[in-house]
Amino acid sequence: MLTIWGRKTSINVQKVMWAVEELGLAHERIDAGGPFGKTDTADYGKLNPNRLVPVIDDKGFILWESNACARYLANTYGLGTLAPSGPEDRARCDQWMDWSITTLYPDVVPSLFVSFVRVTAADRDMAKVNAAAKRAGENLALLDAQLAGHDYILGNTLTMADIAVGTLLYRYNTMPIERPKLPNAEAYYQRLSARKAYQTHVMIDWQSMKIPGA
Amino acid sequence: MLTVYGRANSINVRKVLWMLDEVGEPFDRQDWGRGYRPTSEPDFMRLSIFGVVPIIDDGGFVLRESQTIVRYLANKHSRHDLYPADLKARAQTESWMDWASTDLYAAARPVFHAMIVNAKDPTTAVAPADGVADWAKHMKRLDQQLTNEGPFLMGAAFTIADIPAGMVVNRWFALKFDKPELPAVAGYYDRLAERRAFRTHGRNGTP
Ligand SMILES: N[C@@H](CCC(=O)N[C@@H](CS)C(=O)NCC(=O)O)C(=O)O
Ligand SMILES: N[C@@H](CCC(=O)N[C@@H](CS)C(=O)NCC(=O)O)C(=O)O
Repeated sequence: MLTIWGRKTSINVQKVMWAVEELGLAHERIDAGGPFGKTDTADYGKLNPNRLVPVIDDKGFILWESNACARYLANTYGLGTLAPSGPEDRARCDQWMDWSITTLYPDVVPSLFVSFVRVTAADRDMAKVNAAAKRAGENLALLDAQLAGHDYILGNTLTMADIAVGTLLYRYNTMPIERPKLPNAEAYYQRLSARKAYQTHVMIDWQSMKIPGA
Repeated sequence: MLTVYGRANSINVRKVLWMLDEVGEPFDRQDWGRGYRPTSEPDFMRLSIFGVVPIIDDGGFVLRESQTIVRYLANKHSRHDLYPADLKARAQTESWMDWASTDLYAAARPVFHAMIVNAKDPTTAVAPADGVADWAKHMKRLDQQLTNEGPFLMGAAFTIADIPAGMVVNRWFALKFDKPELPAVAGYYDRLAERRAFRTHGRNGTP
Protein backbone atom coordinates (compact mmCIF):
# COMPACT_ATOMS: atom_id res chain seq x y z
CA MET A 1 0.00 0.00 0.00
CA LEU A 2 1.12 3.53 -0.78
CA THR A 3 1.06 5.99 2.11
CA ILE A 4 1.32 9.75 1.73
CA TRP A 5 2.18 11.81 4.77
CA GLY A 6 0.96 15.37 4.79
CA ARG A 7 -2.00 17.66 5.32
CA LYS A 8 -4.17 18.15 2.26
CA THR A 9 -3.82 21.94 2.46
CA SER A 10 -0.09 21.82 1.69
CA ILE A 11 0.64 22.67 -1.92
CA ASN A 12 3.45 20.15 -2.09
CA VAL A 13 1.18 17.41 -0.77
CA GLN A 14 -1.48 18.46 -3.29
CA LYS A 15 0.96 17.88 -6.13
CA VAL A 16 1.57 14.30 -5.03
CA MET A 17 -2.10 13.58 -4.32
CA TRP A 18 -3.13 14.85 -7.72
CA ALA A 19 -0.59 12.49 -9.33
CA VAL A 20 -1.79 9.60 -7.14
CA GLU A 21 -5.37 10.09 -8.24
CA GLU A 22 -4.54 10.54 -11.94
CA LEU A 23 -2.62 7.26 -11.73
CA GLY A 24 -5.51 5.59 -9.89
CA LEU A 25 -3.30 4.24 -7.10
CA ALA A 26 -4.76 2.66 -3.97
CA HIS A 27 -3.40 4.71 -1.09
CA GLU A 28 -3.87 6.16 2.33
CA ARG A 29 -3.03 9.74 3.31
CA ILE A 30 -2.04 10.56 6.87
CA ASP A 31 -2.49 14.13 8.09
CA ALA A 32 0.78 15.66 9.25
CA GLY A 33 2.28 19.12 9.40
CA GLY A 34 0.67 22.45 10.21
CA PRO A 35 -2.12 22.05 12.82
CA PHE A 36 -1.69 18.26 12.77
CA GLY A 37 1.92 18.39 13.99
CA LYS A 38 3.64 14.96 14.05
CA THR A 39 6.56 16.21 11.96
CA ASP A 40 8.59 16.90 15.13
CA THR A 41 8.43 13.32 16.40
CA ALA A 42 11.42 10.97 16.34
CA ASP A 43 9.55 8.59 14.04
CA TYR A 44 8.82 11.33 11.52
CA GLY A 45 12.47 12.40 11.64
CA LYS A 46 13.33 8.92 10.38
CA LEU A 47 10.93 9.33 7.44
CA ASN A 48 12.10 12.81 6.58
CA PRO A 49 14.88 14.47 8.56
CA ASN A 50 13.85 17.77 6.92
CA ARG A 51 10.60 17.47 8.91
CA LEU A 52 8.51 18.70 6.00
CA VAL A 53 5.56 17.26 4.10
CA PRO A 54 5.02 15.41 1.82
CA VAL A 55 6.71 12.08 2.35
CA ILE A 56 5.62 8.95 0.51
CA ASP A 57 6.03 5.37 1.68
CA ASP A 58 5.58 2.95 -1.23
CA LYS A 59 5.70 -0.51 0.35
CA GLY A 60 8.64 0.50 2.51
CA PHE A 61 10.33 2.81 0.01
CA ILE A 62 10.48 6.25 1.62
CA LEU A 63 10.83 9.42 -0.44
CA TRP A 64 10.52 13.17 0.18
CA GLU A 65 10.60 16.23 -2.10
CA SER A 66 7.32 16.66 -3.91
CA ASN A 67 8.68 16.75 -7.47
CA ALA A 68 10.82 13.68 -6.88
CA CYS A 69 7.74 11.91 -5.43
CA ALA A 70 5.52 12.85 -8.36
CA ARG A 71 8.18 11.82 -10.85
CA TYR A 72 8.82 8.52 -9.08
CA LEU A 73 5.12 7.65 -9.10
CA ALA A 74 4.78 8.66 -12.75
CA ASN A 75 7.86 6.68 -13.82
CA THR A 76 6.81 3.63 -11.81
CA TYR A 77 3.08 3.56 -12.45
CA GLY A 78 2.48 5.91 -15.36
CA LEU A 79 5.05 5.28 -18.05
CA GLY A 80 3.49 6.44 -21.28
CA THR A 81 0.87 8.54 -19.52
CA LEU A 82 2.08 10.97 -16.82
CA ALA A 83 5.68 10.07 -17.73
CA PRO A 84 6.40 10.36 -21.44
CA SER A 85 8.50 7.49 -22.77
CA GLY A 86 11.04 9.18 -25.08
CA PRO A 87 14.22 10.67 -23.58
CA GLU A 88 13.68 14.09 -25.14
CA ASP A 89 10.11 14.37 -23.91
CA ARG A 90 11.28 13.23 -20.47
CA ALA A 91 13.82 16.04 -20.47
CA ARG A 92 11.15 18.48 -21.62
CA CYS A 93 8.95 17.39 -18.71
CA ASP A 94 11.88 17.78 -16.37
CA GLN A 95 12.64 21.31 -17.44
CA TRP A 96 9.10 22.44 -16.62
CA MET A 97 9.17 20.60 -13.32
CA ASP A 98 12.47 22.18 -12.33
CA TRP A 99 11.22 25.56 -13.49
CA SER A 100 8.12 25.22 -11.34
CA ILE A 101 10.08 24.63 -8.13
CA THR A 102 12.99 27.00 -8.72
CA THR A 103 11.35 29.91 -10.53
CA LEU A 104 7.56 29.97 -10.13
CA TYR A 105 7.22 28.56 -6.62
CA PRO A 106 9.37 31.12 -4.74
CA ASP A 107 7.08 33.96 -5.85
CA VAL A 108 3.75 32.15 -5.66
CA VAL A 109 4.22 30.38 -2.34
CA PRO A 110 6.78 31.95 0.06
CA SER A 111 6.31 35.51 -1.21
CA LEU A 112 2.61 35.70 -2.14
CA PHE A 113 0.70 32.92 -0.44
CA VAL A 114 2.53 33.15 2.87
CA SER A 115 2.03 36.93 2.87
CA PHE A 116 -1.73 36.54 2.51
CA VAL A 117 -2.11 33.67 4.96
CA ARG A 118 0.55 33.99 7.65
CA VAL A 119 0.97 37.79 7.83
CA THR A 120 -1.64 40.23 9.11
CA ALA A 121 -2.92 42.82 6.67
CA ALA A 122 -1.31 45.49 8.86
CA ASP A 123 2.14 43.88 8.65
CA ARG A 124 1.95 42.74 5.05
CA ASP A 125 4.82 44.03 2.90
CA MET A 126 2.86 45.18 -0.13
CA ALA A 127 5.97 46.17 -2.08
CA LYS A 128 7.15 42.57 -1.80
CA VAL A 129 3.68 41.25 -2.70
CA ASN A 130 3.43 43.46 -5.76
CA ALA A 131 6.92 42.62 -6.97
CA ALA A 132 6.26 38.89 -6.59
CA ALA A 133 2.89 39.17 -8.35
CA LYS A 134 4.54 41.01 -11.22
CA ARG A 135 7.32 38.42 -11.59
CA ALA A 136 4.85 35.53 -11.35
CA GLY A 137 2.76 37.13 -14.12
CA GLU A 138 5.86 37.54 -16.28
CA ASN A 139 6.83 33.93 -15.71
CA LEU A 140 3.34 32.70 -16.49
CA ALA A 141 3.52 34.58 -19.79
CA LEU A 142 6.20 32.02 -20.70
CA LEU A 143 3.79 29.23 -19.86
CA ASP A 144 1.14 31.03 -21.91
CA ALA A 145 3.49 31.01 -24.92
CA GLN A 146 4.25 27.33 -24.44
CA LEU A 147 0.53 26.48 -24.39
CA ALA A 148 -0.22 28.06 -27.76
CA GLY A 149 -1.82 25.45 -30.00
CA HIS A 150 -2.12 22.60 -27.51
CA ASP A 151 -4.00 21.71 -24.37
CA TYR A 152 -1.18 20.69 -22.05
CA ILE A 153 2.44 21.68 -21.57
CA LEU A 154 4.01 18.95 -23.68
CA GLY A 155 1.19 18.44 -26.12
CA ASN A 156 -2.29 17.06 -25.93
CA THR A 157 -2.05 14.81 -22.88
CA LEU A 158 -1.56 15.54 -19.21
CA THR A 159 1.96 14.78 -17.94
CA MET A 160 3.84 15.24 -14.70
CA ALA A 161 4.97 18.64 -16.00
CA ASP A 162 1.34 19.79 -15.81
CA ILE A 163 1.05 18.44 -12.30
CA ALA A 164 4.08 20.34 -11.03
CA VAL A 165 3.16 23.62 -12.73
CA GLY A 166 -0.62 23.29 -12.52
CA THR A 167 -0.68 22.86 -8.75
CA LEU A 168 0.63 26.41 -8.39
CA LEU A 169 -2.11 27.87 -10.58
CA TYR A 170 -4.92 27.46 -8.08
CA ARG A 171 -3.03 29.48 -5.47
CA TYR A 172 -2.00 32.05 -8.07
CA ASN A 173 -5.52 32.48 -9.43
CA THR A 174 -7.26 32.70 -6.07
CA MET A 175 -5.09 35.37 -4.44
CA PRO A 176 -6.10 39.04 -4.40
CA ILE A 177 -3.41 40.19 -6.84
CA GLU A 178 -3.26 41.78 -10.25
CA ARG A 179 -2.91 39.23 -13.03
CA PRO A 180 -1.97 39.97 -16.63
CA LYS A 181 -4.33 38.70 -19.35
CA LEU A 182 -2.92 35.39 -20.54
CA PRO A 183 -5.55 33.65 -22.68
CA ASN A 184 -3.76 30.31 -23.14
CA ALA A 185 -2.79 30.01 -19.50
CA GLU A 186 -6.30 30.98 -18.45
CA ALA A 187 -7.88 28.36 -20.72
CA TYR A 188 -5.39 25.83 -19.38
CA TYR A 189 -6.33 26.63 -15.79
CA GLN A 190 -10.01 26.14 -16.72
CA ARG A 191 -9.11 22.83 -18.37
CA LEU A 192 -7.31 21.64 -15.25
CA SER A 193 -10.20 22.85 -13.09
CA ALA A 194 -12.54 20.55 -15.01
CA ARG A 195 -10.55 17.48 -13.90
CA LYS A 196 -11.93 15.69 -10.92
CA ALA A 197 -8.50 14.97 -9.45
CA TYR A 198 -7.60 18.67 -9.60
CA GLN A 199 -10.88 19.66 -7.98
CA THR A 200 -10.47 17.13 -5.20
CA HIS A 201 -6.81 17.61 -4.36
CA VAL A 202 -5.78 21.08 -5.50
CA MET A 203 -8.84 23.32 -5.43
CA ILE A 204 -8.96 23.35 -1.66
CA ASP A 205 -10.15 26.62 -0.22
CA TRP A 206 -7.36 28.17 1.84
CA GLN A 207 -9.28 30.98 3.57
CA SER A 208 -9.47 28.97 6.79
CA MET A 209 -5.65 28.76 6.90
CA LYS A 210 -5.38 32.50 7.48
CA ILE A 211 -4.13 33.71 10.84
CA PRO A 212 -6.39 36.27 12.58
CA GLY A 213 -6.01 39.65 10.90
CA ALA A 214 -4.59 38.24 7.67
CA MET B 1 28.89 19.84 -31.18
CA LEU B 2 26.91 20.61 -28.06
CA THR B 3 26.85 24.30 -27.22
CA VAL B 4 26.36 25.77 -23.76
CA TYR B 5 24.96 29.27 -23.59
CA GLY B 6 25.89 31.00 -20.35
CA ARG B 7 28.58 32.80 -18.41
CA ALA B 8 31.01 30.49 -16.61
CA ASN B 9 30.61 32.35 -13.28
CA SER B 10 26.92 31.45 -12.88
CA ILE B 11 26.25 28.72 -10.34
CA ASN B 12 23.69 27.08 -12.63
CA VAL B 13 25.96 27.15 -15.67
CA ARG B 14 28.76 25.66 -13.55
CA LYS B 15 26.63 22.62 -12.69
CA VAL B 16 26.31 21.88 -16.41
CA LEU B 17 30.03 22.47 -17.14
CA TRP B 18 30.95 20.19 -14.24
CA MET B 19 28.70 17.46 -15.63
CA LEU B 20 29.98 17.83 -19.18
CA ASP B 21 33.49 17.23 -17.88
CA GLU B 22 32.36 14.27 -15.78
CA VAL B 23 30.93 12.54 -18.84
CA GLY B 24 33.74 13.77 -21.11
CA GLU B 25 31.48 15.38 -23.68
CA PRO B 26 33.23 18.00 -25.83
CA PHE B 27 31.38 21.31 -26.03
CA ASP B 28 31.51 24.92 -27.08
CA ARG B 29 30.48 27.63 -24.67
CA GLN B 30 29.27 31.14 -25.37
CA ASP B 31 29.23 33.85 -22.70
CA TRP B 32 25.70 35.09 -22.15
CA GLY B 33 23.98 36.71 -19.18
CA ARG B 34 24.72 39.34 -16.58
CA GLY B 35 27.98 41.11 -17.42
CA TYR B 36 28.11 39.60 -20.92
CA ARG B 37 25.73 39.64 -23.90
CA PRO B 38 22.23 40.16 -22.50
CA THR B 39 19.89 37.21 -22.90
CA SER B 40 17.27 39.64 -24.20
CA GLU B 41 19.11 39.72 -27.56
CA PRO B 42 17.32 37.98 -30.44
CA ASP B 43 20.09 35.37 -30.85
CA PHE B 44 19.33 34.10 -27.36
CA MET B 45 15.57 34.63 -27.40
CA ARG B 46 15.31 32.57 -30.56
CA LEU B 47 16.56 29.58 -28.56
CA SER B 48 14.82 30.34 -25.26
CA ILE B 49 12.38 33.08 -24.36
CA PHE B 50 13.10 32.39 -20.70
CA GLY B 51 16.14 34.65 -20.75
CA VAL B 52 18.10 32.70 -18.14
CA VAL B 53 21.31 30.72 -18.39
CA PRO B 54 22.27 27.94 -18.85
CA ILE B 55 20.70 26.52 -21.96
CA ILE B 56 22.20 23.88 -24.18
CA ASP B 57 21.76 23.19 -27.86
CA ASP B 58 22.58 19.57 -28.55
CA GLY B 59 22.31 19.12 -32.30
CA GLY B 60 19.12 21.17 -32.43
CA PHE B 61 17.64 19.87 -29.19
CA VAL B 62 17.45 22.93 -26.96
CA LEU B 63 17.13 22.42 -23.24
CA ARG B 64 17.05 24.75 -20.26
CA GLU B 65 17.16 24.28 -16.46
CA SER B 66 20.57 23.30 -15.14
CA GLN B 67 19.49 20.15 -13.29
CA THR B 68 17.36 18.94 -16.16
CA ILE B 69 20.42 19.31 -18.37
CA VAL B 70 22.58 17.40 -15.88
CA ARG B 71 20.10 14.51 -15.84
CA TYR B 72 19.76 14.60 -19.63
CA LEU B 73 23.53 14.27 -20.00
CA ALA B 74 23.65 11.34 -17.58
CA ASN B 75 20.92 9.58 -19.58
CA LYS B 76 22.53 10.42 -22.90
CA HIS B 77 25.79 8.80 -21.83
CA SER B 78 24.04 5.93 -19.99
CA ARG B 79 25.96 6.84 -16.86
CA HIS B 80 23.97 4.74 -14.42
CA ASP B 81 26.86 5.04 -11.98
CA LEU B 82 26.08 8.76 -11.79
CA TYR B 83 22.28 8.53 -12.15
CA PRO B 84 20.97 5.11 -11.07
CA ALA B 85 18.74 3.18 -13.46
CA ASP B 86 16.77 1.69 -10.56
CA LEU B 87 13.74 3.96 -10.20
CA LYS B 88 13.94 4.15 -6.42
CA ALA B 89 17.61 5.09 -6.23
CA ARG B 90 17.00 7.42 -9.15
CA ALA B 91 14.22 9.20 -7.26
CA GLN B 92 16.38 9.57 -4.14
CA THR B 93 19.11 11.12 -6.29
CA GLU B 94 16.55 13.57 -7.62
CA SER B 95 15.26 14.39 -4.14
CA TRP B 96 18.73 15.59 -3.11
CA MET B 97 19.04 17.62 -6.31
CA ASP B 98 15.63 19.21 -5.73
CA TRP B 99 16.40 19.91 -2.09
CA ALA B 100 19.74 21.52 -2.94
CA SER B 101 18.22 23.77 -5.61
CA THR B 102 15.20 24.81 -3.54
CA ASP B 103 15.47 24.72 0.25
CA LEU B 104 19.28 24.75 0.53
CA TYR B 105 19.82 27.24 -2.30
CA ALA B 106 17.10 29.56 -0.99
CA ALA B 107 18.82 29.55 2.40
CA ALA B 108 22.16 30.47 0.82
CA ARG B 109 20.73 33.27 -1.26
CA PRO B 110 20.39 36.14 1.26
CA VAL B 111 24.03 35.80 2.31
CA PHE B 112 25.27 35.56 -1.28
CA HIS B 113 23.19 38.55 -2.28
CA ALA B 114 24.43 40.66 0.63
CA MET B 115 28.07 39.71 0.11
CA ILE B 116 28.33 39.59 -3.68
CA VAL B 117 25.34 40.56 -5.81
CA ASN B 118 24.27 43.68 -3.92
CA ALA B 119 27.60 44.50 -2.24
CA LYS B 120 29.17 47.84 -3.12
CA ASP B 121 32.54 46.40 -2.18
CA PRO B 122 32.60 42.58 -1.90
CA THR B 123 35.94 42.67 -0.04
CA THR B 124 34.38 44.40 2.97
CA ALA B 125 30.76 43.16 2.70
CA VAL B 126 29.38 41.60 5.90
CA ALA B 127 27.15 38.53 6.03
CA PRO B 128 23.72 39.14 7.62
CA ALA B 129 23.48 37.17 10.89
CA ASP B 130 19.96 35.81 10.35
CA GLY B 131 20.88 34.73 6.85
CA VAL B 132 23.95 32.89 8.13
CA ALA B 133 21.88 31.16 10.83
CA ASP B 134 19.32 29.87 8.34
CA TRP B 135 21.94 28.74 5.86
CA ALA B 136 23.88 27.01 8.66
CA LYS B 137 20.73 25.13 9.70
CA HIS B 138 20.44 23.68 6.20
CA MET B 139 24.17 22.94 6.03
CA LYS B 140 23.83 20.99 9.28
CA ARG B 141 21.22 18.87 7.56
CA LEU B 142 23.76 18.12 4.86
CA ASP B 143 26.38 17.38 7.49
CA GLN B 144 24.00 14.93 9.17
CA GLN B 145 23.31 13.10 5.90
CA LEU B 146 27.01 12.88 5.04
CA THR B 147 27.83 11.66 8.54
CA ASN B 148 25.14 8.99 8.55
CA GLU B 149 25.08 7.89 4.92
CA GLY B 150 28.22 9.41 3.36
CA PRO B 151 30.83 9.94 2.22
CA PHE B 152 28.66 11.13 -0.73
CA LEU B 153 24.97 12.06 -0.64
CA MET B 154 23.90 8.76 -2.17
CA GLY B 155 26.42 6.76 -0.15
CA ALA B 156 29.68 5.23 -1.26
CA ALA B 157 30.06 6.82 -4.67
CA PHE B 158 29.78 10.20 -6.34
CA THR B 159 26.51 10.77 -8.23
CA ILE B 160 24.74 13.73 -9.79
CA ALA B 161 23.08 14.26 -6.39
CA ASP B 162 26.40 15.79 -5.39
CA ILE B 163 26.47 18.41 -8.16
CA PRO B 164 23.87 20.93 -6.93
CA ALA B 165 24.85 20.41 -3.28
CA GLY B 166 28.54 20.61 -4.16
CA MET B 167 28.04 24.00 -5.75
CA VAL B 168 26.37 25.35 -2.62
CA VAL B 169 29.10 23.83 -0.43
CA ASN B 170 31.67 25.64 -2.55
CA ARG B 171 29.78 28.88 -2.03
CA TRP B 172 29.69 28.27 1.73
CA PHE B 173 33.45 27.88 1.98
CA ALA B 174 34.38 30.47 -0.65
CA LEU B 175 32.51 33.28 1.10
CA LYS B 176 34.31 34.71 4.13
CA PHE B 177 32.16 34.78 7.27
CA ASP B 178 32.14 33.01 10.64
CA LYS B 179 30.73 29.54 10.21
CA PRO B 180 29.98 26.67 12.53
CA GLU B 181 32.28 23.65 12.24
CA LEU B 182 30.72 21.02 9.99
CA PRO B 183 33.31 18.27 9.80
CA ALA B 184 31.45 15.99 7.37
CA VAL B 185 30.77 18.90 5.00
CA ALA B 186 34.43 19.98 5.19
CA GLY B 187 35.53 16.44 4.35
CA TYR B 188 33.02 16.35 1.50
CA TYR B 189 34.39 19.58 0.06
CA ASP B 190 37.87 18.06 -0.05
CA ARG B 191 36.58 14.75 -1.41
CA LEU B 192 34.80 16.55 -4.26
CA ALA B 193 38.01 18.45 -4.97
CA GLU B 194 39.68 15.15 -5.84
CA ARG B 195 37.65 15.45 -9.04
CA ARG B 196 39.22 17.58 -11.72
CA ALA B 197 35.82 18.68 -13.02
CA PHE B 198 34.92 20.11 -9.61
CA ARG B 199 38.25 21.90 -9.27
CA THR B 200 37.74 23.45 -12.72
CA HIS B 201 34.12 24.52 -12.44
CA GLY B 202 33.24 24.34 -8.75
CA ARG B 203 36.10 24.94 -6.34
CA ASN B 204 37.82 27.44 -8.57
CA GLY B 205 37.84 30.53 -6.36
CA THR B 206 34.41 31.81 -7.45
CA PRO B 207 31.73 31.57 -4.73
N1 LIG C 1 10.90 21.30 -1.38
C1 LIG C 1 9.94 20.59 -0.57
C2 LIG C 1 9.21 21.59 0.33
C3 LIG C 1 8.28 20.95 1.30
C4 LIG C 1 7.60 21.99 2.19
O1 LIG C 1 8.06 23.15 2.30
N2 LIG C 1 6.50 21.59 2.80
C5 LIG C 1 5.75 22.48 3.69
C6 LIG C 1 4.28 22.47 3.35
S1 LIG C 1 3.95 23.02 1.71
C7 LIG C 1 5.86 22.00 5.13
O2 LIG C 1 6.13 20.84 5.39
N3 LIG C 1 5.66 22.91 6.09
C8 LIG C 1 5.65 22.56 7.48
C9 LIG C 1 4.34 21.98 7.90
O3 LIG C 1 3.39 21.89 7.11
O4 LIG C 1 4.27 21.61 9.09
C10 LIG C 1 8.93 19.81 -1.44
O5 LIG C 1 8.68 20.24 -2.57
O6 LIG C 1 8.43 18.77 -1.01
N1 LIG D 1 16.40 27.19 -12.39
C1 LIG D 1 17.29 27.73 -13.40
C2 LIG D 1 17.76 29.07 -12.94
C3 LIG D 1 18.57 29.77 -13.97
C4 LIG D 1 19.05 31.14 -13.49
O1 LIG D 1 18.48 31.75 -12.60
N2 LIG D 1 20.15 31.62 -14.09
C5 LIG D 1 20.71 32.90 -13.71
C6 LIG D 1 22.20 32.77 -13.49
S1 LIG D 1 22.62 31.70 -12.16
C7 LIG D 1 20.53 33.90 -14.84
O2 LIG D 1 20.34 33.53 -15.98
N3 LIG D 1 20.57 35.18 -14.52
C8 LIG D 1 20.41 36.20 -15.51
C9 LIG D 1 21.67 36.53 -16.25
O3 LIG D 1 22.76 36.03 -15.93
O4 LIG D 1 21.53 37.34 -17.21
C10 LIG D 1 18.43 26.76 -13.64
O5 LIG D 1 18.78 26.00 -12.70
O6 LIG D 1 18.96 26.71 -14.74
